[in-house]
Amino acid sequence: MASLIDLRSINRVYEMGGESLYALKNLTLSIDTGSYVAIMGTSGSGKSTLMNIVGCLDRPTSGSYSLDGVDILRCSDDQLAEVRNAKIGFVFQQFNLLASMTAIDNVMLPMVYAGVPKVERYNRAVQVLEQVGLGSRLYHRPNQLSGGQQQRVSIARALANKPSILLADEPTGALDSHTAEDTMHLFNELVSHGITVIVVTHDQDTADHARRIVRMRDGEIVDDTVCS
Amino acid sequence: MGLAELFLIAWQGILSNRLRSSLTVLGIVIGIASVITLMGIGEGAKLEAEKQVQALGVNLIYIRPGSIGTSGVSMGQGTAPTLTYEDVLAIKENCPAAEDVAAQYTSSLQIQAGEKNTLTTVVGTDPSFPDIRNFHTAQGRFFTVQEANDSARVCVVGDGVVEDVFSGASAVGKKLLIRGELFTVVGVMEHKGANATGDQDDQVFIPIQTGYSTLFGLNLVSGRAVKSILVQAKAGEDLQAQFQITNLLRLRHNIQSPDGDDFTIRTQMDILQTAQSITGVFALLLGATASISLLVGGIGIMNIMLVSVTERTREIGIRKAIGAKYRDILMQFVFEAIVLSLTGGIFGILLGLGSAYWVGSLGQWTTVVTPSSVVLSFLVSLAIGLFFGIYPARKAALLDPIVALRSE
Ligand SMILES: Nc1ncnc2c1ncn2[C@@H]1O[C@H](COP(=O)(O)OP(=O)(O)O)[C@@H](O)[C@H]1O
Ligand SMILES: [Mg+2]
Repeated sequence: MASLIDLRSINRVYEMGGESLYALKNLTLSIDTGSYVAIMGTSGSGKSTLMNIVGCLDRPTSGSYSLDGVDILRCSDDQLAEVRNAKIGFVFQQFNLLASMTAIDNVMLPMVYAGVPKVERYNRAVQVLEQVGLGSRLYHRPNQLSGGQQQRVSIARALANKPSILLADEPTGALDSHTAEDTMHLFNELVSHGITVIVVTHDQDTADHARRIVRMRDGEIVDDTVCS
Repeated sequence: MGLAELFLIAWQGILSNRLRSSLTVLGIVIGIASVITLMGIGEGAKLEAEKQVQALGVNLIYIRPGSIGTSGVSMGQGTAPTLTYEDVLAIKENCPAAEDVAAQYTSSLQIQAGEKNTLTTVVGTDPSFPDIRNFHTAQGRFFTVQEANDSARVCVVGDGVVEDVFSGASAVGKKLLIRGELFTVVGVMEHKGANATGDQDDQVFIPIQTGYSTLFGLNLVSGRAVKSILVQAKAGEDLQAQFQITNLLRLRHNIQSPDGDDFTIRTQMDILQTAQSITGVFALLLGATASISLLVGGIGIMNIMLVSVTERTREIGIRKAIGAKYRDILMQFVFEAIVLSLTGGIFGILLGLGSAYWVGSLGQWTTVVTPSSVVLSFLVSLAIGLFFGIYPARKAALLDPIVALRSE
């Protein structure tokens, strides 16, 4: 059976003042459904670039990428937006919530773009917010929530459209260790529900929750370990 | 995404920066309000001019000495004494399409009653004048055919003259000295107000025959000159009447080609058209002036939308990351611009109606706000939002999600 994520010979090249900078260099990586993968590496090793390509936010300079059997490089911008909307949930380091909206409005937003009817949207948003333990904070705005709570709203938003993949780029970077631990437990739970989780992290403790650790350096994968 | 959804997203965007949104809306409010008010003034002027022309009478034809110059119709009093009272009689005699004819000879003369005297316009005319001009007596009567034929020394005074020399008291039966000649007042005209030719209430009417024998004197060359001839055409026969009079006068004056005409003949329709074209230009100028403020308002919207797109780049990135398509972002910002300009449009229409009413109540101007100008303003404000919103919206929709997400 083909993998959920199948990256082959991916190059991502930035042209900088006549010089070519390889953010990703001939990278090949497959990830199966239900995996829990941590990506580690020093700053500038290409982790975010990889996540952006996996998340269909960015296109590689060359190579091939099939996601759930779809040839991503052949998709138009709007088709990529649809893929992101339906299959991928992003959790960002800076949470990236819309400051002018309440928690529930933020969580409903992906469903707005998916065309989910209003009532269903509301019910689903309440459900995911309860799932992340924020059932009592539906109408708070981001600035009325703690960092950990904001992180959980952003996870709820990522889960709103029942994605098959959750991508988290340094999700715990802005959190204290206790809250970070809570977030990782939440991810464990999601994986147990069959969601594929990919986490970028510096932190070995965070990575230890994952079942597979991919290490990068200078745009290449230097180590790929499946934990028993 | 449905319209309601788009509207909601746009509305949230607008509310997230209320002060700025209100100031932007204010620009449109002022623009639309001035369009409504100024168009109302222009429309009012048009209506007023039409009313004045209508008030001249019905099926009126107006003949004056002198021809149409190269610079168009001469608006001053005719100077060449080419029309005579014999022409008037000939028209009466020979033009079947002319229902009624009245000559006019006007002269500015001193009048006096008791201690009071003033300078006024004395009009020598025929007894048919009130019917032709639709300008009647309010007290007493107009002079009769008999009195005209007898060159009787009777006069009818305008309502302003009563104020000036009779101190507002009843004038009928009183004596009035016109350049030293004694006249008896037999009637007072109704109040008519001013028109383009002057104050119609500051006039004294006398039989034209009396005028020739006492006040106006005779022109030795041309005999009994008249300064204008008023003809009332039979209903629906204005053009025939105009045709008959033109031919008759050319014949009588020995004129070979139309270029040689020594008279000008205008129908009420001509006068109406001239008035309409003048007031039309006036209305257009007012509209154009107001449009400039609207344009400024529109540029204000574009400016704010560009600032807004720049400021909200990160938001756009987030929306794109979670699945917003090109059209979603485009529509969000276009809708925001449209909601801003339509809000401005609606408040502008209300303010414009109010200020048009206010200007009208000052008494100097008649203002008429037509439904079409309201509908037009509404559509224009919609178009402004669309036109000035689309460029910033496109800019937003074309942003690369990664670049947008990384912006601060
Ligand atoms: N937009 C860009 N333009 C130029 N170089 C970039 C751009 N984005 C990333 N890079 C470069 O690509 C490399 C990998 O970056 P990134 O994936 O962000 O690293 P990481 O997330 O592992 O810290 C870095 O050297 C970075 O400078
Ligand atoms: Mg990074």
